Parts: sequence; C-alpha cells; structure tokens
Amino acid sequence: MPIPKGYAGNVVIIDLSKSEAQILPTDKFWREYDVDPRLWLGGDGLITKILWKDFPEGIDPMSTENEIIVATGPWTATAAPQAGRAMLGCISPETGGFSSGSFGWYFPATLKYAGYDIMIIRGKAAKPTYVFIDDREVSFRDASHIWGKETGETVRAVRDELGERYEGEIRVLSISVAGEHLVKYAVACGDATSCPGRSGGGAIMGSKNLKAVAVRGTGEIQIHSPKGLVDSSYEAINRFLKEEPTLKIWQKHGCTTGLATVARWPLRGTLLASNRAAADFPHLKNVGCLNCFNPCYHWLQLKEGRHAGTRQIGGHMTFLTTMLRNLNIEDFGEWVYYERLMQELGLDPASFSMNFTFAVDLFERGLLTLDDTDGLVLKRGDPDLIWDVAGRAARRQGKLGDLLAEAQGDLARTVGGEAVELAPAVKGKPSIQRDPRIQALIWSMGYLTSPRGGDWLRTHNTWELAFLPGNRDTYPEYIGKSNLELYQECVELLDMPRNLKKQIFGDPPRVDVEWIKGTKGKMLFMVWTENLVGLFNSLVTCMFGAATQFMMVAFGPSTYAEILNKITGWDVTYDELMLVGERVFNLQRAFNYRLKGWDYRNDRFDDKRSREPAVMGIYKGRTVPWDEMLQEYYAIRGWTKEGIPTAAKMNQLKMHDVASILPKLT
Amino acid sequence: MTTCSTYNEGATSLSKSRIRIARHEGYAVTGIDEESELIFVALMSRQCDDAFCMRICPTGAIVRNKDTGAVIVNHDRCIGCRMCIVACPFGAIMYDADRKRVIKCELCEGDPQCVRLCPTGALAFLPKKSAHLPKGDRLARRIVDLETRAVADDIPAARKEKDANS
Repeated sequence: MPIPKGYAGNVVIIDLSKSEAQILPTDKFWREYDVDPRLWLGGDGLITKILWKDFPEGIDPMSTENEIIVATGPWTATAAPQAGRAMLGCISPETGGFSSGSFGWYFPATLKYAGYDIMIIRGKAAKPTYVFIDDREVSFRDASHIWGKETGETVRAVRDELGERYEGEIRVLSISVAGEHLVKYAVACGDATSCPGRSGGGAIMGSKNLKAVAVRGTGEIQIHSPKGLVDSSYEAINRFLKEEPTLKIWQKHGCTTGLATVARWPLRGTLLASNRAAADFPHLKNVGCLNCFNPCYHWLQLKEGRHAGTRQIGGHMTFLTTMLRNLNIEDFGEWVYYERLMQELGLDPASFSMNFTFAVDLFERGLLTLDDTDGLVLKRGDPDLIWDVAGRAARRQGKLGDLLAEAQGDLARTVGGEAVELAPAVKGKPSIQRDPRIQALIWSMGYLTSPRGGDWLRTHNTWELAFLPGNRDTYPEYIGKSNLELYQECVELLDMPRNLKKQIFGDPPRVDVEWIKGTKGKMLFMVWTENLVGLFNSLVTCMFGAATQFMMVAFGPSTYAEILNKITGWDVTYDELMLVGERVFNLQRAFNYRLKGWDYRNDRFDDKRSREPAVMGIYKGRTVPWDEMLQEYYAIRGWTKEGIPTAAKMNQLKMHDVASILPKLT
Repeated sequence: MTTCSTYNEGATSLSKSRIRIARHEGYAVTGIDEESELIFVALMSRQCDDAFCMRICPTGAIVRNKDTGAVIVNHDRCIGCRMCIVACPFGAIMYDADRKRVIKCELCEGDPQCVRLCPTGALAFLPKKSAHLPKGDRLARRIVDLETRAVADDIPAARKEKDANS
C-alpha cells in the first residue's frame, strides 16, 4: 500500500546504546507493526499499536527496555487548523502501564517537516547525550556540559551550539534536573514552552541519559487536495469563530478561567480575574502552536510583587487549579512563578502538587515526622516553603525530596499503614482537579477509566457542571445568555447523531437540573467523549479545538472527516472516525490488562474517603454509585462485568489479533 | 505559512512559504528575564514600485501583473540564477531547491490566502493608495476618546470647585 498523502513518509528509530539511527519508510514500519493507517491514523493510535507489539509483558519503566515514542498524525504540520500537535508515549514511570501525553508548539511540526511521522528512542546512552535530527541526518552529541542545566538554559545552549540561522529554526525537546534525577513524574518540554504533561517522558529520557532531541526540518508534506484543504480550513475556522458560544470568555481569560467560568468549581475564579487585573500584560497577547485560531498561551510579565519582571508564556489551567486547591496559594504573581518554576525544573505540576498536598496530610496525621521531612514543618499556603520543596523533589535532595519524587502509589506504600488508604490516586497516579461535590459525574468517572491513571484528560466533559441551582451564572456578563440557555444551544451544536442525543438527553434532547442530578445517559455520553478524545489524539490535533470550554461544541468528527479527506484523499465518515477513537481506547484497555492485569478492581479511587458516604454535594450522606455506573459503562463498552474487553468487541473493531490473545490471558 | 505553501506549492512546508514570520519567542531562561517582548513580524514581498528583482532579472522572467499589481515570476523564463534573491532588499524571494525555481509572494491572484485564513485580523490586504487611512483614523479616534474622557473627568472637579466657591 502506498503511503497516503498527509504523512511525512519516514520513521526514525534511534538506538542510544549503539548511537545509531535507522530511517525506514512509514509503510514498511506500518507493515511491521500491523497498522492500517485508516484504522489508527497516527498519534495515540500508533503509540498504542507500538507499545502493544513491543511490550507483551510488564517491565521496569526505568529500565533500558522502555522506549519513548513521539508520534505525529496525518493532521500534524498541514494547513489544517491547530496542526502543531503530537503525542509522546512510553510505559508510565508512575503506573507501569500505558502512558501518553499531547504536546505542541513547534517541535512536532518540525519533526514532520524533517520527514518523520514517528520517532522512537530505545536503549541507553553511555554518557549524557543529545540527538540532532537535521532533516535526514541524525547525529549524537555529547551533553555533559549541559547536564544539570534547567529547561530554558538547555534550549538556549543547544540552539547556540547547533547554530540556528534564525530564531526558532531548531526546535528542542529537552529535560531538566527532574528528568536527570529520575523523578517519576518528570516531564519532557518542547522549546521550554509545551510539555507532554503527565506522560512521565522526562523520567524516561533521564533514565536513557538523553538530555534533548533537537530537530531542523525543511521538507514538505504532500497534500491530496491543497486548495480544498485551504477552503475547508477556512470554513471550519470561521464557523468556529462565529458559533462557538464561549469564545469571548476564552479570548479574554484563556483556558485558566474555563472551569471557573463554566461552573462554580471551587477555584475562586473571580479572585483570579481581579488578581489578573493587577498584573501587567505587555500586550495581553495570546499565542499558540502552529495554525492555532484559538490560542491558549498567554504572554505574561509581572510588574509588581516579589516576582516582578518574571515573564512567562503560559497561564494554563492546571497550574491555577493545582495551586489554588492543592497548595492553597492565591497570589497571582506566585501563580505565574509556579508555572515558570515547574517548567524550569521539568516537573509535572499535577503530580508534584498532589504529592506535596498528600505529604502535608500525612504530616498533619503524624504519619510523616520531622525526621522524614528533613526538619521542615509541612503546610499549605506558604509559597517559599513549597517552592523550596519543589527544588528538593526535582533534585531528590534529602529524605523529603527523595520521597516526593516517587509516584504517589509508591510514596503511600513507602510510608505504609494508613497512608495507603489516604492516597488520592487511581492506579498509583494522583487524580488532580477532583470534584468533591460530584456534580460532574462523567468527569469523576473519567479518572477511573483513564488508561493512564488518575486524570480526567481522556474524558474532559463538564456538561453537568453549570446547571445546578446555586451555581454562578457566569455567562450573561459575556454573551447575554443564561447558563441554561447557553447549554441548550450547546445541545443543538453538539456534533452527534440525533439518535444518540435522544438517548443521552431525552426526547427532545434537553438539559435541565434533573438530568444533571441523575445518572441517565451519562455513561453513554462518557463513552462518546472518550472515543472523541481517542480520535483527536490520533489525528493529532488539539483538545481545545474540540472543547474550548470542555463543551465539545466546536470541532467534531464531521469537521475532522471533511478536513482529513482533503489531506489524505480518503473518504472517511463520522462513524468511521469515531470507531478509530473507540479502537484506540479499547486497545489501551487491553494493553493495560495484559501488562498489569488491571480490571474493575483497579477502576477506583485509592483513597477510602471516596468510597464512603459523601460529606458534601449531590451525594451528601450517600455513597456515590461508582460500581453501578461502572457496570453500565462496561456494558456500553461491550466489556465483561470485570471490565475486561471481550474478543467479540475486538473482532468488531477489526483487532482480530487482540481478540485471539485475550481469552488466553484470563 | 502552511496555508501559503499548501495553496501555492500544493504541499505544506514552512521553508517554502512565501510569507515568513520572524519570531522572537523569548522562551524563559532561568534567572534571566529580558525586557524584550514576544514579537512576530510577517515578512513578504513588498511588490515594490521600482522592483530591483525585476530590474536585475537577465531573462525578463519577473514581470508585473497588471490586474493585481503583484510582481510575479514567469517560471518558463526563469533560469534559476537567483540574482533576484541577491537584489531583493527584504529577503523576500526564496529558492525552492526541490522544484529548482525561485518563489515569491504573488498575492494569490489578488486574494491572498494568508489574509483569508488569518483568524485574528493581524494580516490585512488593502489598496496601497488608501492603506494608511484606517490607521490614521484609528489614531485620531483614540485622541478624540482621550479628550472626551479628560473633559468628563474634569467636569465633576470643576463643578465641585464652583460649588465650593458659591
């Protein structure tokens, strides 16, 4: 089969042990890995296929065997909207199971212009090394002199050394001190700007003595219908700018206020807005990855306070939510500094802040003593203390630093006893941004079924959040509509077959308080959302195109199909694309089951409190029906009652090889 | 840039885009916070009235399109000598090594696709005779706004003074 248009055409496999790079045509690689591109696209789809073949059995994630996979997709680096993304995958250092994370800025597109759909890194270098991919030439360079440097300095040093001819010509994916010290949740960072968060890729790079990968790409990507693609992109972007109902909020406040605005999430959103007003934005400019019409990066420079002068291209939600909720710090300047610090140290703010807050809980209960904390009195709300502890964790300094650098599940087991029942994790990975009132049942269930452990990014669906009485009506100020009116509009705009809408929202489809408080249709909606996420992570494009305010009323599978067909010359349909998402999600589930034996027993929050009657919110005084919901979910998924994918489902999704293996595993 | 190369070359490539973006991304570096800002500047052919590229071309391959006013390259005549690249003061002409020819912005037959696809309005395509007008008008309006506000601010103060005196 010839390589369809839209793909770069090559795969580069880098073996650090031998200092060798192998370049092979993408179609040959597909044959080796049994990939039909129309069934798997790229990105997460390809990562899952590669991991499935390469790791039939569990490994120590920090061992030489683990690999780093950066996979672009047919969407990446074309003239399609939001074409700057790729996925980075590996065996998770936090969970030992599947892991991947999306990242952007310009590294992914440049890798594709250099001619590569996929980059796989294997083995371990004898000494600190960085790799330079200069179109077809791959060289291995000594990184001893930059080992120990933080993110920004590393990027600068590599670019200077390689002699870029204009700024941004060479793109760098690098690690910082946290990766070097094998902090389990260390991230890799692209151009000191965009990180595949929660993937643990930084730890794996560190374990391979790989400081950075630099790439220069001057090639081109063939397009099936160039003018058609430009026209379709134009229409999609303009439809978005015209119809996306929450765009104004987004443009003004960015993704940071997305949740605070959509719902009365305990984020103290108004506080943020007023704090923001006090800060100085030289341009209040939003910037984004390649072809972004809806950029999420804010250009910030602090004018006042103790971090005056600090500048940051960022302002992202996870930093805000974790800082307010886990660290209990409210100052705007500290928020910007926090993002900068995490980026420079190469730490995942989600896992770090969850480990810190968990350690505070343990300290307050006497499960950690002053001896364990190197004499520090752990508490929330003290930025100096927390930034100090972050530095210790990133370098594994002292007992405390070493303890916090571990995955949360391991941390809990090390402390032992009661701690194991207190860890707010799923599959050993801390679950950030949990909704204590369980207003968002879909969102909350998403943590349980996510293939990479405790987070909601594979189910970001906040449909239930805005309607409950008492929730702040935030929309009128921006768009002159009440929340209920807006959400009714969103039901109409949702790119979903009418029949499915009726099953989820009733006939005629509508959202009201009853729907929010109930469970009807929710698991169906959740499955649809997970499949959509699997789809755009395989294309690869950005979640914010599909879900600006996490409402999924912008780009949907119809738009994806139209544009993808212009790129590749295929004739894929809505249903076919949604099946890609379903396929990817199912294989991730099967992969984790084969590798780790994860089934219904692992689809739960590790902390006991979550399984006891709730103390607030919808389920106050009652137990959240986790198991009931999971059974409904498994049934819709076509899995067994134990949450194991069935051979029948696998056959239906054209994964006959997986179908034949599954029965042998039980 | 992806739109430009896709539309004009039929393939996507940043290095074959006729519009180029000079970037100052200013990524953070530990302990250094430069004063300079995040800057993106779009560079493309100015379609000069007295175009040096056109003057220097030994085969007369560079001509002006009467309808659009764009300076365009006739690839049948172009011999690939790249003298136009030397002559252009803006670095706005580039060489496409794959197709062995020089390329430059030719305004997409009068409907520049970069402008069409720009989601923020950062790029605009205006007739050169009147391109300055909206800009001047915007500035003038800002002065009007400022004056109005200044006057409005002064009125209560003046009234207070008057009340105090009476």
